[in-house]
Amino acid sequence: MSDTQTPGGFIGDPTAALAVAGTSGCCGNPPQATLTLSEPTEVAGPCCGTATDAAAEGSCCGSTAKADAVASGQGCCG
Amino acid sequence: MTTPGVPVDGLDPLLAAVDGRRMAATVATLAGVPFAGRRVGTPGGAAARAWLGQQLADLDATVDFAAFPVTAVPEVYATPTVAWHDGVSVRHLEFGHDVAVHLESAEQALLLRGDLAVAGHGAPQGRWLLVPAGMSLFDAYGHAERAAGLLIGRGVDADGWQYTVLAGPNTGPLPVLTLDTATHAALQQAAESGRGWLAGNAPIRRLDVRAANVHGRWHASTGDGVELLLTAHYDGVGDHPGLRQPAAADNGSGVAVVLEAARILASALPTGVGLSVALLDGEETGALGSAQHAAHLRRDGAAPLVINVDGAGLLRQAAAVEAGGPAHALLAALDQAGRHTGLPLVAGPVASDNRRYAAAGLAAVGIGAGMAGYHSPADTPDRVDTATMTALARLVVATGWLAARTPATVSSSIGDRR
Repeated sequence: MSDTQTPGGFIGDPTAALAVAGTSGCCGNPPQATLTLSEPTEVAGPCCGTATDAAAEGSCCGSTAKADAVASGQGCCG
Repeated sequence: MTTPGVPVDGLDPLLAAVDGRRMAATVATLAGVPFAGRRVGTPGGAAARAWLGQQLADLDATVDFAAFPVTAVPEVYATPTVAWHDGVSVRHLEFGHDVAVHLESAEQALLLRGDLAVAGHGAPQGRWLLVPAGMSLFDAYGHAERAAGLLIGRGVDADGWQYTVLAGPNTGPLPVLTLDTATHAALQQAAESGRGWLAGNAPIRRLDVRAANVHGRWHASTGDGVELLLTAHYDGVGDHPGLRQPAAADNGSGVAVVLEAARILASALPTGVGLSVALLDGEETGALGSAQHAAHLRRDGAAPLVINVDGAGLLRQAAAVEAGGPAHALLAALDQAGRHTGLPLVAGPVASDNRRYAAAGLAAVGIGAGMAGYHSPADTPDRVDTATMTALARLVVATGWLAARTPATVSSSIGDRR
């Protein structure tokens, strides 16, 4: 037995998951964030959004970006 | 697109064994009062950790705990008391909805009363300063010498909550309160008219705590066998005084999915295939648990395939998948698993522990569905969709089962580089 086509699986190229970019997610550009994650300092640090977004929202995330990300089923951090 | 895959004989009985009620019960327990929202370093977090260790032991895993320190975890230790006068009457603000303590706030335990003013206009001494929209907190400090504190506007979520975050800037020089945007506008109007005062406090402090990941291992890989590592963070942002934040979807649901998938895979994988689980602490303070674990794996030369689940609360159109490291084979298995189980997948950000493993050079995928009540009192078990958890658990079981079998065959479909 082998798989037949179903409505499931990746919508588009699976390898796009390796280069998630240009989204409105709350945590910025994921590939860049992955590459620039600092080594653990054991001190809580900002992980969401840009500094400009965070400052404007008085939070560590832009609320609009966060709401978009949550509503669209995308994961968020912190 | 239909990509070739490995034969799936024997997989369907495993998928049929996925038990949604068991996962719902796990979420209900993790979201319960005894665990108090599971903030890192709290008694509730420790209680959850002990319970999870027992769950893994009951599944015949070898269990151990890996402790690590976390410093400066923010804690609101009392309900803030905030009232203001609009020139006519006193209005009391409700914590969580109308007002919250900013993560960068200095501690102000006692009530502090001061006239209202707008930052950048007039003398700041002794006054609560409304920070206008568009002015950064950094710039506001420049206008706030000897001010009582700063008041920032902040949007609320669909349930009207100012959601809680733990990862963010360090403590600043002044008390800082966040006001929902309508309240902020009303106070700014009062300040501009030269009348009104505010009395409030900011009972927030930073704690240095101990955290711990919970590890369960069933088999170690041998020979050319694949090593599977299933992960989910169990910590939450924690309860506030008088305000429960159950953290059901984030990430009780992910933990439930991982435990259920491990329960099924533990007795179903071929000889030589390794299986372990890491239930991670400190994600909400910057993915510190996975950073610790990934560093240990890298130091030990281990190279598991990592599947991280963060948020299995409410699936809408498709589950988001973010991958990193040499994950082509894993993605191929995930794709075939999605097609076999009928779960649509889409490339999208999953900013969670998977990034720490990927940054360590491991093949890692993060999977997330939607959720309700993000980091707020509204993240309750009744809003976690059992069908969503079932769909994700089936996906993880199928992915692990496929990846464990013939990774060379799997890799050929989309150009694996492992």
